[in-house]
Amino acid sequence: MLLEIKNLKVKGNHKEILKGINLKLKPGEIQALLGPNASGKSTLAQVISGNPKYKISQGKIFLGTREITKLSPEKRTKLGIALSWQNPPTIKGVKLSHLLEKISQVKNKKLDIGSDLINREINLDFSGGEKKMSELLQILSLNPKLVILDEIDSGLDLKRLEKVAKIIKKELIEKKISVLLITHSGVILRFLKPQMTNVIIKGKIICQEKNYKKVLKIIKRYGYEKCKKCKLLAS
Amino acid sequence: MAMKNVKNVNYWQVDHKIKNVSGQKGVIILPSPEAWQKFKWARKWFARKPKEGYFVWLKEQVDFPLTTCLTIASKKISQNLTNLLVIEKNIKAKANVVCQATKNNLCGTHQAQGKLILKDNAHLEYNHFHQWGSQDFVSPDYQFILGKNSRLTYNYKNLSPPKNLELKTLIYNDENSSANLKFVINGLNSKINLKDTIFLQGKNSQGIVRLRLVGRKNSQIEAKSEILAQASAKGHLDCQGILASKDSTISLIPKLVCQNKKAQITHEASIGKISEEELNYLRTRGLSEKEAINLIITGFLNK
Repeated sequence: MLLEIKNLKVKGNHKEILKGINLKLKPGEIQALLGPNASGKSTLAQVISGNPKYKISQGKIFLGTREITKLSPEKRTKLGIALSWQNPPTIKGVKLSHLLEKISQVKNKKLDIGSDLINREINLDFSGGEKKMSELLQILSLNPKLVILDEIDSGLDLKRLEKVAKIIKKELIEKKISVLLITHSGVILRFLKPQMTNVIIKGKIICQEKNYKKVLKIIKRYGYEKCKKCKLLAS
Repeated sequence: MAMKNVKNVNYWQVDHKIKNVSGQKGVIILPSPEAWQKFKWARKWFARKPKEGYFVWLKEQVDFPLTTCLTIASKKISQNLTNLLVIEKNIKAKANVVCQATKNNLCGTHQAQGKLILKDNAHLEYNHFHQWGSQDFVSPDYQFILGKNSRLTYNYKNLSPPKNLELKTLIYNDENSSANLKFVINGLNSKINLKDTIFLQGKNSQGIVRLRLVGRKNSQIEAKSEILAQASAKGHLDCQGILASKDSTISLIPKLVCQNKKAQITHEASIGKISEEELNYLRTRGLSEKEAINLIITGFLNK
């Protein structure tokens, strides 16, 4: 197993956000995590990557055989975890090219992301699409084993979504890098075809299903609010 | 920290000894005491009768930057400099000044009184780079006299601060002249006092001051920035600080004085801490906490 999360409970702002998450991800596997707003998706992504803002009250996280529950974010990154942020902050005065020089584990990583993006200050006045491209470029330069894509499809028009999906396919999936694909809308699943789809609601994974199309269909029909009524729940 | 390209330095003084003075066609460069003797007209511009320091008189347009370097290399040296830089009418120039200590523990004193005269239509980009030891005392006191239609860009950068820095700057703007000042100072076990004042004396003159101050590790920083508009002029103060340690203090005191109803002067000031979100973001890119802080501060100082 590449990533294993056991009974993870997490607090943020004195409130329990994750209420006993269990998740396993094999090397080279793509899994999706779907859920409504405020269900704990991004919290889980941040906790896996080690954001000290969140306090783990119970449970363990393993990368391979190594327990990483208490490791700093930078050590987790060095071990191969890379997170694409949903809302990455602006780093004023620092060009993207400068950051890439500092963090890059790969020689001359090039992506078709628009000529001037890397010469701009990180995320300053980036459009939604530019932010996603910048995130992709950064995580690919880290030469990761496990990539967590937090809402990589949000705010993208179809053309850009296709472009992003193409890059993910070519640079991650074809290279057998494990991907945890977090999404609210699920639109990108049609392009990336995850092997397992998880649904998280109110801090708990309530459904794990191999056929992503079924999950999308049920969510479309009932919405997340009625997800618990779904026939797939038993699976 | 020693100067690498000594050949390109127009004036280089180490402790009290002059290592190099090299004027070229169109530029007169002399030790200040010699200029005091030689050019009577210059006496009114010197703040006092000089004991040491440099005199630069740019008479014609040149195509290279003027470079002066003042170094402390021995223990307990006390430099007391009187500098004068005169740029004649219509000349565009760039000048770099490096002031430095060669070691961290020399306990030196560097005091400088300088005057810069930009005559009508003159342009000057004036870059000061300071690198000091942790036990030094540094006190530069500069005045800039800007003639009609002249342009001054003054960048003062001090990333290796002394124990004590007293930096005083006065700018006098004549008609249509503009002054664009930026002070970038990294406090590290330092006591820093900045005082800068722009006198907008001429019609349509402009003055902008940008302060970027970082308080790291037991630093006390106080910055008083003032624009005084005496004519129909425009001015802006942009004072920003990052407090990067619990035992440091930054005080920003912007002051605007308007004596002309057609003048427009504004200010913005802020002091903040390092954003946790930015820090965590960079840590998820593999940078250590210290590396991430340094990168955020570098970015802040670049703005």
